[in-house]
Amino acid sequence: MTRHRYLAAGAAAMVLLTAACSSSNTASSSSSGGTKKNGPYKIAFVQGVAGDAFYITMQCAIQAEAKTVNATVNVQGPQKFDPTLQTPIVQSVVSTKPDALLIAPTDVSAMQQPIAQAQKAGIKVVLVDTTLKDPSVAVSAISSDNLGGGKAAFDAIKQLVPGGGKVLLVSVQPGISTTDDRAKGFQQAAAADSTFKDLGIQYDQDDPQKAAQIVSAALQKDPDIVGIFATNLFSAEGAATGIRQAGKQNQVKIVGFDAGPDQVKALKDGTVQALVAQQPGTIGKDGVDQAIASLKGDTVTANIKTEFTILTKDNIDSADGQAAVYKSSC
Amino acid sequence: MSGAVSTPQTAPATADRAPSGVGARILRAQGLQIVFILAVIVVFFSALKPDAFLSVSNFRGIVVNTSILAVLGVGMTLVIVTGGIDLSVGSVLVFSGVVADKTMKALGGQGWGVAAVGLLVACACGLGWGVLNGVIIAKGKVPPLITTLGSLGMALGFSQIMTTGIDLRDVPDVLVNNIGFGNVFGQVPSLSVISLVVILLGYVVLHHTRFGLYTFAVGSNAEAGRRVGIGVDRHLIKVYALCGLLAGFAGMMNLSFFQSTTISGQSNTNLNVIAGVVIGGTSLFGGAGSIFGTVIGLLIPSTLQNGFVIIGVQSFWQQVVVGAVLIAAVFTDQRRRARSMAGATSRTHPLLRLRRGTPPQGEPR
Repeated sequence: MTRHRYLAAGAAAMVLLTAACSSSNTASSSSSGGTKKNGPYKIAFVQGVAGDAFYITMQCAIQAEAKTVNATVNVQGPQKFDPTLQTPIVQSVVSTKPDALLIAPTDVSAMQQPIAQAQKAGIKVVLVDTTLKDPSVAVSAISSDNLGGGKAAFDAIKQLVPGGGKVLLVSVQPGISTTDDRAKGFQQAAAADSTFKDLGIQYDQDDPQKAAQIVSAALQKDPDIVGIFATNLFSAEGAATGIRQAGKQNQVKIVGFDAGPDQVKALKDGTVQALVAQQPGTIGKDGVDQAIASLKGDTVTANIKTEFTILTKDNIDSADGQAAVYKSSC
Repeated sequence: MSGAVSTPQTAPATADRAPSGVGARILRAQGLQIVFILAVIVVFFSALKPDAFLSVSNFRGIVVNTSILAVLGVGMTLVIVTGGIDLSVGSVLVFSGVVADKTMKALGGQGWGVAAVGLLVACACGLGWGVLNGVIIAKGKVPPLITTLGSLGMALGFSQIMTTGIDLRDVPDVLVNNIGFGNVFGQVPSLSVISLVVILLGYVVLHHTRFGLYTFAVGSNAEAGRRVGIGVDRHLIKVYALCGLLAGFAGMMNLSFFQSTTISGQSNTNLNVIAGVVIGGTSLFGGAGSIFGTVIGLLIPSTLQNGFVIIGVQSFWQQVVVGAVLIAAVFTDQRRRARSMAGATSRTHPLLRLRRGTPPQGEPR
């Protein structure tokens, strides 16, 4: 602890010196998109949506890692996971001229131009979690291997229902790279296993009420559904409500994605039987490291895929299980 | 500037307010009040972060992000001046964008010709919804709040049916590169220039034409308007049609900017536009308002959000401040109305006036 403090004080002193000597230099070098060997670095992190445990966990890791590399972080997020709300935030953030921008784009195409403008302004862009149609505007893209996550979700259903049967997918909306890939991974895995029948994807626009309606309607049509993969929290909550309305809690198993406090509670309560947890902390930490590497002119890894942890009632209270759970505050 | 905020001195049927002098002066004062509020906001953020906030590129960003709302705001101002409301603008914007997108894709998807057809289709869709709103309100005597709440749902529903809820992205490159993200005269965004043209046209129409005069007259007192020979029903239909047309036009701007139909992103657009119009001093009770005020009223939320992001404050605060400004604006409007109403003999209860276009029972039409 004390050692860290000395380090921090030393770094701060160095920073002051460098800043005093080269204040005009830094400005010109960052605007031309060149390298910047020394800190302090200014990092901006634009979340996909504010107040979400996944992005908060990522934010905590980003802030912790930033401290060790002499960087400050400004965190901002739109109130909904939507490009019309994220675009003005990106434009405002670009005006603050950060050295690096870590961002989770809310749409593969709509966010392309705003993020390209950040890159043109000389900011090193790192895509975290979600990606873009043309990710070449970013120095690095770090995300969960969502295809693998979808497959993991199918494996979880298979564990819960070894005999097979009809499975349904409930997702947010098309065009979000992460949930699209999770769905694809799940469907590929389901297609490869003849004991399971894939009933296709339904979209709920991230509205739990709509997810509930979809699931109860689906249970009307196919009363023998055995498993539902809900690609995000609201989908899972809605799906659970729909199943409860139909009185089929014991028959239908739900596998959710992510491990925020709400999902974990749902798992403990038995509304959801398994969770596929991503590693937002690792994504955030890697994001900072790649951004700084790029600023220093070191080698940058263009693509990083992070792993998953499968959580069930059995392992949720173990040390590993607890480490995988997302945080709601740092 | 002062001339921009005005009620025509010659407006007939001014039972609600003093016909000239005092009322007009107070109105003008509120116009100045919101310019003052905007100025305070700008000075506040400039003082905290001069390098980031006070830059051409930042103001450019604020203006671009207000451009589409401003086009909707022009139509909304006209509607609110008549004492009505249009909740359907966001959905009509999406609907027009979806139909234009599909049309442009069917025509090959690229080039200026295709884009022009897309624009016409978008405007026609908007006009269609506007006329439908207007006819139901003026002829069917359904309150505007309900009519446009209904068309809000219908337009959004149809958009989702046509797309199965999946955003379409077939926007010609020429539109994206020249309109959505293009510049004219060096650094001036095309999107904002288009918006400015619409604002200027709206200003002329509302404040300097007979059409505008009738709009104020219908909003002040529809019955009096009828008695002096204004075709109130026809006029209301025209106003809602214009509002719809502008929403369709904005749908095309939205497509160019986001390269996507943003189906789920427009759920609060109507309320954001209405808030801007009301902050700008247009009275929800009709009969008073200005296009200039609307533009400032829309710039306040955009500037706040931009500033909060720049100084690193949670952008949730923007909602809090905008909410407070909104209430303050309506409070001012109410006080102004109370003051100008003092002494007048007969008046309609404000809630009854929501049923604009319905003559009181028992009265001859």
